[in-house]
Amino acid sequence: MLRHAMGRIALALPVLLGVVLVGFLLMQVVPTDPATVRAGPMASAEVIAAIRSDLGLDQPLAVQFGKYLWRLVQGDLGVSIINNVPVAQELGNTIGPTLELMFASLVWSIPLGIGMGTIAAYLRGSWADRAIMAVSVAGVSVPVFFLGLVLIWYVGFQWQLLPFTGRQGPLWTLDGLRAVALPAITLGGVFVGPVARMTRTAVLETLSADHVRTARAKGLSETAVVLHHALRNALIPVVTLIGLQIGFLLGGAVVTETVFSWPGVGRLAVGAITSSDFPMAQGTIIVLSAGFILVNLTVDLLYGVLDPRVRGA
Amino acid sequence: MSATYVARPTVLRLVLRDAAAAGSAAFLALVVLAALLAPWLAPFDPYETDLMAVMQPPGGENYPLGTDGQGRDMLSRLLFGLRVTLLMGVTSLLAGGVIGVSIGFIAAYWRRVDGLLMRLMDVMLSFPAILFGLALAAIFGPGLIAVVIALSVATVPLMARIARSTALVVMAQDYIEAARATGMGDWRLIRRHLAPNCVAPLLVFSTLRLGQVILLGSALSFLGLGAQAPTAELGAMAAQGRTFLFFAPHISVIPSAAIFAIVLACNLLGDALRDALDPKLRP
Repeated sequence: MLRHAMGRIALALPVLLGVVLVGFLLMQVVPTDPATVRAGPMASAEVIAAIRSDLGLDQPLAVQFGKYLWRLVQGDLGVSIINNVPVAQELGNTIGPTLELMFASLVWSIPLGIGMGTIAAYLRGSWADRAIMAVSVAGVSVPVFFLGLVLIWYVGFQWQLLPFTGRQGPLWTLDGLRAVALPAITLGGVFVGPVARMTRTAVLETLSADHVRTARAKGLSETAVVLHHALRNALIPVVTLIGLQIGFLLGGAVVTETVFSWPGVGRLAVGAITSSDFPMAQGTIIVLSAGFILVNLTVDLLYGVLDPRVRGA
Repeated sequence: MSATYVARPTVLRLVLRDAAAAGSAAFLALVVLAALLAPWLAPFDPYETDLMAVMQPPGGENYPLGTDGQGRDMLSRLLFGLRVTLLMGVTSLLAGGVIGVSIGFIAAYWRRVDGLLMRLMDVMLSFPAILFGLALAAIFGPGLIAVVIALSVATVPLMARIARSTALVVMAQDYIEAARATGMGDWRLIRRHLAPNCVAPLLVFSTLRLGQVILLGSALSFLGLGAQAPTAELGAMAAQGRTFLFFAPHISVIPSAAIFAIVLACNLLGDALRDALDPKLRP
């Protein structure tokens, strides 16, 4: 088990370092000179040169990367060139809301998807199966922003049921819960489909397995057979596949945050890129990538715990 | 050879018997045709503004799909938008597909480089396309080029994996051994015997991937990282309509619904093709 874990971590580290290197190189190849941007359009050449040496931009690349890495380890991601706020501080403010949105989206969509997939597999070929699969295909095909805009138009604007811009407090307050509802329905809505499809395939496989037949033969109720014998064994691949879909969820989160003006990392990243705020863009991309790598690693390790057969691989 | 001869009409018939798949195929054909003929079909210049007729609702006499916030004809913009969106999707799919399939074939054919190439693909796969998109937009500045590169790069490892696993199955067949025994060279063997027998699964995956690529690309454009104003691109059009959502929802809804329909058709057709080629997976 420990060897499996160590191996996985050893694989994740170089990828993480690669992300940081790409993030650093990003700053080198950008066509816009950060010193010029910060100095503003009216600045003289001397002022730009002073800012450049101030930012350490006149030193060799390797030195810059070393210093950059050292600052990164200390949690210093630089300063926004638009509003001079430290990138780390801005990220600290936005990570919470992003995690909140992801949690609120997954907490209902994963159980619903697993339930739908199990029912579809159990009633294979019936109208219920076909209806569930039709909903899933629609779910994987709908643009996240479309779903979001439709919800804003009907639930938020026409029926005035729920707010649709920004966050209004933590999840455990009523206002916070109301504010997260529409974004969470949007992001979770596009996640139900893939989960249902994966669960259906996995449960179909276990339903025809020998141990399920044995369970039926010894007279267990259908509920017990499906829930304890078929679904439980199907959950292992489903958990992994859900973990692997985190990248998909991340993309959805970036769009959802933009549509609902949710103050998360994704919206921060998009804003930074469109306004050429390179330190901020770099910081957000590194944090999003690191988060993604971390989730993948966790899923890998979890898989090792759930399924002893993987450990050797 | 007789196997492929019989299989082809069967697959086609199976797909056409499935109403959803046949409908999807017809719809996609129509969409492609509309995009190709956009300059002739469009009643107006998609960039011509008419400030006397802004935010006209659909159903009007002059503007069947209404006008947008600058009084541009929505139907014309939709037709030209289809062009840009489809071109973006197909270009990314082709670029990523050609590179990915080549890598997959090389890995399957020359097993010495297999491990190395596939580890590289694993690393690429461990990075979500949307992050590629964000990073490239940050480097090159927002634009369609950044989106196409990001989507191509994200497609490479997926295609490589499928090409490799398909090629490995084909490589184990007797006719490959026989061809080799006749002294056929590597490239000729790959071109004449390996590649043609891998086409079907790759085609299935390409259909599904085209939908995903269009979905991702339009999302990036919606975020303002892809096609830039005033370019008529479906995702960018949906984003421009956001400002007018409460006065004229059709400006956002029409392009969004078009993306939805195209992606849905790709998925339905891809699923049907897969089921027809591999009956074991059929529900």
